Amino acid sequence: MLNFNYHGVCNGSCYDLEQIVSKCFKTLFLYTNSYKTNNLISYNKFTLKNGLTVLHHEDTSSQLCVLNTLYRVGSKDENPNHTGFAHLFEHLMFGGSINIKDFDSELQKVGGESNAFTSNDITNYYVTLPANNIETGFWLESDRMLSLAFSQESLNVQKNVVIEEFKERYLNQPYGDIWLKLLPLVYKKHPYSWPTIGKDISHIENSSLDDVISFFKRFYSPNNAILSVVGNITLEKTKQLVEKWYNDIPSQIMSREPYPFEPIQTEPKKETFAADVPLDVVVKAYHSCKRMHKDYYTTDLLCDILGTGRSSRLYNSLVKGKKLFSELDCYLTGDIETGLFIIEGKAISGVNIYEAELAINSEIALLIKEGIKIDELQKVKNKAETNIKFNDLGVLNKAMKLAYCEVLGDINLMNTEVDQYSGVETADIIALAKKILNENNCSTLYYLAK
Amino acid sequence: MNMILNRSLAPDSEALNNIKIIEGQTITLSNNVDLHYINAGTSDVIKLDLVFDGGVRNQSQNSTATATSSMLREGTKNKSAEQIANELDFYGSYFQTQCTADDSSVTLFCLKKHFASCIPYVLDVINDSVFPENELNIYKKNAQQRLMVNKQRNSFLVRRLFYSSVFGETSPYGTFSEPDDYKNISRENILSFFNDHYKNNVKYLLLSGSIDESVIKTTENVFKGLHKNTYIKNDIVTKGKSCDKVFFDKKDSVQSAIRIGRRIVNRAHPDFRKLQILNMILGGYFGSRLMKNLREEKGLTYGIYSAMESFIDDGCFFIETEINNELRDQGLTEIYREIAILRTELISDSELHLAKNYLLGSFLRSIDGPFSLAERQKILIDFGYGYDYYYEFINMINRITSIELRDLANTYLKEEDLSEIVVGHK
Repeated sequence: MLNFNYHGVCNGSCYDLEQIVSKCFKTLFLYTNSYKTNNLISYNKFTLKNGLTVLHHEDTSSQLCVLNTLYRVGSKDENPNHTGFAHLFEHLMFGGSINIKDFDSELQKVGGESNAFTSNDITNYYVTLPANNIETGFWLESDRMLSLAFSQESLNVQKNVVIEEFKERYLNQPYGDIWLKLLPLVYKKHPYSWPTIGKDISHIENSSLDDVISFFKRFYSPNNAILSVVGNITLEKTKQLVEKWYNDIPSQIMSREPYPFEPIQTEPKKETFAADVPLDVVVKAYHSCKRMHKDYYTTDLLCDILGTGRSSRLYNSLVKGKKLFSELDCYLTGDIETGLFIIEGKAISGVNIYEAELAINSEIALLIKEGIKIDELQKVKNKAETNIKFNDLGVLNKAMKLAYCEVLGDINLMNTEVDQYSGVETADIIALAKKILNENNCSTLYYLAK
Repeated sequence: MNMILNRSLAPDSEALNNIKIIEGQTITLSNNVDLHYINAGTSDVIKLDLVFDGGVRNQSQNSTATATSSMLREGTKNKSAEQIANELDFYGSYFQTQCTADDSSVTLFCLKKHFASCIPYVLDVINDSVFPENELNIYKKNAQQRLMVNKQRNSFLVRRLFYSSVFGETSPYGTFSEPDDYKNISRENILSFFNDHYKNNVKYLLLSGSIDESVIKTTENVFKGLHKNTYIKNDIVTKGKSCDKVFFDKKDSVQSAIRIGRRIVNRAHPDFRKLQILNMILGGYFGSRLMKNLREEKGLTYGIYSAMESFIDDGCFFIETEINNELRDQGLTEIYREIAILRTELISDSELHLAKNYLLGSFLRSIDGPFSLAERQKILIDFGYGYDYYYEFINMINRITSIELRDLANTYLKEEDLSEIVVGHK
């Protein structure tokens, strides 16, 4: 249910990796929090002279404090011939900084813990500490923003670690390489055409220390970062510590080119792969919208009505009624740039996958033709509200959401998303379904049992 | 602020000697059922767990306990599966069932404002489920398919093989469903398991989140007609092996999944908590010896960890990792080397200091928020302990010495007591 499916790949102390579904990531940032009538999330925002954006939220119910650092760099910023680098770089951020040899030991010594993840759009680092020891977090995070140690040895080791991660999560799992196959079919020009782990192991192998240094200079500067401080800490103390540890870090000149434009798809795209898996799978990926587009909330509710959970249309009609699939899910990738609406189904053995796919298309046609009931829409709105509230739990969630709302460009999303969902009407849903859920806008991958 | 900052010097830090645990409360309802609750957090959300003696240990035929648990939402005398799903979703709530070796539970998550509307569905499901034949057939087919896919995962296979080896297949901790077991489940089996273990047979209730008088009152009103469970849990028979060596050849694997470990004392034994500290140092956190050696120094794996696992009547210790086939032997050698070092060398003061502080910080994280607190409380309920258990654990972390830890390693981590299970390609 309310699981955090990390979009992308993480540094690794996540011991429950199997639970972190590699396919994609519905809820992490789709739903930012808050609830209008009570529990408004209050926050403070200020900016240092070097361009560092700082967000603060005080939670006195916790004995912890979180320091979350989001850098505006993800796999979409990589060279197409050098993919997987943003994520490899994330690993290197734990390999020692200019004044501190061992990041993790210093943190663990005062009861802290850290991790990070990389997505298409961002790289996000966090440290969680007992609130009275939070200054250690400021010391460590600011030093690695100032400069890394840049050691060849650390690079060599982390290349191996990431290659093992590639194998463990993408090659040595049934269906593990679905996204490696699907994304290049969907995107022809845009850098979302490769997953955050990279296109190929050789790209990771070929990384040099010079690449590491220039990537750091280009993207790891205070004016390209958002720092959120959440927990049992006052605004005054936050300001004092931020100024003490971050004021003297120089900003960098940022030059970014616009991402290559993905041409509008005009006809169906289909591809078939066969692998040593027990069951046939079909994945349908429709171009959708940017995370901040006005249609985003409508798209999300459409997705829930069609295929999220046991009361959804596809589940009741095709898993329960016609018994064509054993698993069937709908979700959005929720990317900052134009993302995808995904329908993914695992067929019952013996069922023809192409016929099963036609049944999905019929359900979409039925929705467009007959419309949806008011109750059906209210149901998914209520569900969205619950998700928002449950994601409010815990200082880490709140810290990550604050930073993410800021990177999206509207920090008010912390408190306005329930309203955004409430405003959607049944006609909006149908119009949107008509617009995006058609074959000319769809890439279909058949992943078949050999 | 104009002073030059010395960045090579760590800021002052404080010892974690003031950990406060928000304690749960217990009241006994008029029907003698215990209602445990914990009021914590800043959000208007509620989680309700109902716990039953419906775990794997109580079944007489494979797969019955998990099938019953999974089928609980598939229809009652009053409502179809689709109606239940629709109506619970309409209130924005989540309904989950879980079945472990020791017990089973039914859980409702919802916003506080919808709690009173949702809770009758829970009562309906645990009293009046009918397990329609059609729904059962769908479940059997889909569960079989899921198992087929899981059996292609090395990590899934290595876990099953490990538990079956150390506990034996007669123990509920070492027994698992095979595809044929699903075929053999009948509606009659499930109904009889349901009548014996769920219907009017609740063990206890546990509420967490934004809990006040009215939430407790609502809960009592809905469940006061239930009978308290009178079931006496099955004794378990353990016929596990020690020092077992298993190699499961799976062609086309690019990595080998490895589990090394043994059956060991569980939470009821005074050494358990000390072993948790020893385990932490060996493989229980990112800075552990195994992680440092195999990942951060040698790059042999994406991750390696070890754990102490306590069931109600048994326990185990294990190390788990996935390593490149070609480097597997080197990895195994390093794992045994690290265990041997624990037996022969004293842990340095600085490493012990770090591990103790990390463990205390990690305990603090494990009691942050209402649902984490409820998990800690469930452990106390299931083992019959009070909150002293956690405060003593904190004291023990502060007191334990490197000599005690070395002696513990010599008692419990002898190489000749460890089993080694590998799933991969030769």
